[in-house]
Amino acid sequence: MSLPLLFRTIRRDIAKVSVCQHVQSLHTGCQLLAAEKALLMKLRKSTGYTFTNCKKALEKFDNDIAQAETWLHEQAQKEGWIKANKLEGRRAKEGLIGLFIGDKDAVMVEVNCETDFVARNEKFQQLVKDVVFATLAHHQSKGQSKAGYVKSILAGEELSKLSVEGTSLADKVALTIGRLGENMSVKQAVTVGVPAEWQIGSYVHGGVSGQTEVPMGRYGALVVFQGGKEGEQEVLGRKLGQHIVGEAPVSLGNMDDLPCGESETRLLPQTFLGDSSKTVAQFLRGQQARVLDFVRFQCGEKASEEAE
Amino acid sequence: MDFDQCRCKTSDAFQTCFCDTLQLTSPSLVLSSFKLCAVPLSRRTFAAEAKKTYSREKPHVNIGTIGHVDHGKTTLTAAITKVLSDAGGANYKKYEDIDNAPEEKARGITINASHVEYTTANRHYAHTDCPGHADYVKNMITGTAQMDGCILVVAATDGQMPQTREHLLLARQIGVEHVVVFINKADAVEDKEMVELVEIEIRELLTEFGYNGENTPVVIGSALCALENREPDLGVNAVMKLLDIVDSYVPLPKRELDKPFLLPIEGVFSIPGRGTVVTGTMERGVIKKGDDTEFVGFSRNFKSVVTGIEMFHKHLDRAEAGDNLGALVRGLKREDVRRGMVMCKPGSIMPHQKVKGQVYILSKEEGGRHKPFISNFMPVMFSLTWDMTCKVTLPSDKEMVMPGEDTSLTLTLRQPMVLEKGQRFTLRDGNKTIGTGLVTDILTATAEDQWWG
Repeated sequence: MSLPLLFRTIRRDIAKVSVCQHVQSLHTGCQLLAAEKALLMKLRKSTGYTFTNCKKALEKFDNDIAQAETWLHEQAQKEGWIKANKLEGRRAKEGLIGLFIGDKDAVMVEVNCETDFVARNEKFQQLVKDVVFATLAHHQSKGQSKAGYVKSILAGEELSKLSVEGTSLADKVALTIGRLGENMSVKQAVTVGVPAEWQIGSYVHGGVSGQTEVPMGRYGALVVFQGGKEGEQEVLGRKLGQHIVGEAPVSLGNMDDLPCGESETRLLPQTFLGDSSKTVAQFLRGQQARVLDFVRFQCGEKASEEAE
Repeated sequence: MDFDQCRCKTSDAFQTCFCDTLQLTSPSLVLSSFKLCAVPLSRRTFAAEAKKTYSREKPHVNIGTIGHVDHGKTTLTAAITKVLSDAGGANYKKYEDIDNAPEEKARGITINASHVEYTTANRHYAHTDCPGHADYVKNMITGTAQMDGCILVVAATDGQMPQTREHLLLARQIGVEHVVVFINKADAVEDKEMVELVEIEIRELLTEFGYNGENTPVVIGSALCALENREPDLGVNAVMKLLDIVDSYVPLPKRELDKPFLLPIEGVFSIPGRGTVVTGTMERGVIKKGDDTEFVGFSRNFKSVVTGIEMFHKHLDRAEAGDNLGALVRGLKREDVRRGMVMCKPGSIMPHQKVKGQVYILSKEEGGRHKPFISNFMPVMFSLTWDMTCKVTLPSDKEMVMPGEDTSLTLTLRQPMVLEKGQRFTLRDGNKTIGTGLVTDILTATAEDQWWG
């Protein structure tokens, strides 16, 4: 009587165990998958590369996240170039002007992209920064005698050859194109070096917040001047820069030129933006200053000129 | 004359209604609906019937697409028109037609935008797509198509892009409360789990930007499949599903008729033996004979009762938004009111002196100034039927405003006038229109703002 009972309990136990095992195996299976997913999410979050590439990388290196990351970085450069070639020719007339004022030298660059959404993105702003510093390094490396006034304008081709931290700008641009998926180009740059007693004033308009080292915006102006009251030169330079951005003069003119109305395009006879009762020349006299040269960049201006 | 005009309106409304039915129903149904509509028209008791016809019209909703340039916004728009054109709710627009939409001019302002319209079973949609942030902001300000909701398009192949953050920031800025996500190009991804990951990620991002990420509807599909008639589950069906969700998820904007009535006063006339009549075009709401009313503006404020409404020298019992009318007001003297004041439902609107506005400054090409302006600039502000000098104060991070830019501005009026959130205005200086804007916030005027002397 007791024997069948014993059998039954044993059988039940066996069944229980097998069920348990089954459940366990199922469970571990799920966990593995979840871990893989988490890894993929982590890699995507830390690198920002596409899911497809992140997955490829993880499969290739058997879920080794460090190796996968290095591979992704290498891959990104390659894919950036493929993408850059594909997008070449698409109209890029948005973007930013970046500006840096050093000690007696200054750099202003224009980098274009397709939409103002991208211009607002920090990855694009990083590219603008890179371009600014590459141009600055190039300017300083030329190491010309610091005595004279140097102004050099660089266009697309020359700029691409410059490099920052060992990477050429062309590579940097391609990398950013790969990341953001829009056509981009380094349009123009200007570097200015002045002798010790001269000043460089600057103004950037329509600025993006959060970029303090290199101010960026849709308009930028550099103005080279002499004189001005001690300690007020920075404000003076800014006011002049603002006027140049606002009134868009094309030439300098002479101190005694007579203003010819609203459509005046010479800087000195123009009505001063900050004080409409004076011309720029009159304002400068009051400040005992003299403007020697200026440069004005407007984002997309060059690009639309070329299109026409 | 007047009645004829009204009748015209009715038959127009009738026609649109008729066309809608025509587009969406089988011939037999069309016939029956024709009969339904035809009977009241022949009776020509227009007032009540006009209302009925109007209610049959489908409610209008503005919607837009945002997303990365290569993620298929235009393809999706084309696919929507294609799918709906099969049901008769749209004209099929090819990708090229949408993509090459010319710059349009709204109120003299150039906006890069493509507009497509279509009709689902429940609603009529105007669908806007702009290439840039600035264009969407201009669109919001000029009010050509304020978006009630938007479709965020993300390609399954790429997932969200770094600039998707900027897209959502924009949606927040222009006041889009309802976002629906369409994960496009799902046909190009073999692994379904990848699509899931894209979905998880976009939900996280939506939450980060203050949207309800968990409950935001996400539709997975492929606009290209819908265009090419492949894989209906990802193609046509997904697009249909998206439209169904947009129909139910994006709420209807409040109709002008349901709001408290507002009549900006254009003119004041005294009629011997009867009293004083104010005229104007109803901005919103419905007004009836015997309604209490309030007059606001030019530092004046008093209440009265509407004793009669006339349109084209005919008496009316009620008038609604869009009607050009004259209202006889009890005890009103001619000198009590002047053009620029408003007649409104008591307590529904307040005069304000200082507001914050989002303003688009016209470029030279658009007829604006060629010069920038700085703080303390004094243009004349025009809104409703009033105009008043105001002082401009730039936001703290700006020193000047260039033509062709949009900016936020603080505007202080010489005298408090009727202004409310969402009201549109124009700024003029001399004989030039400088900019056009939208009130975004009401500020309290302090003693410092009484600088007019």
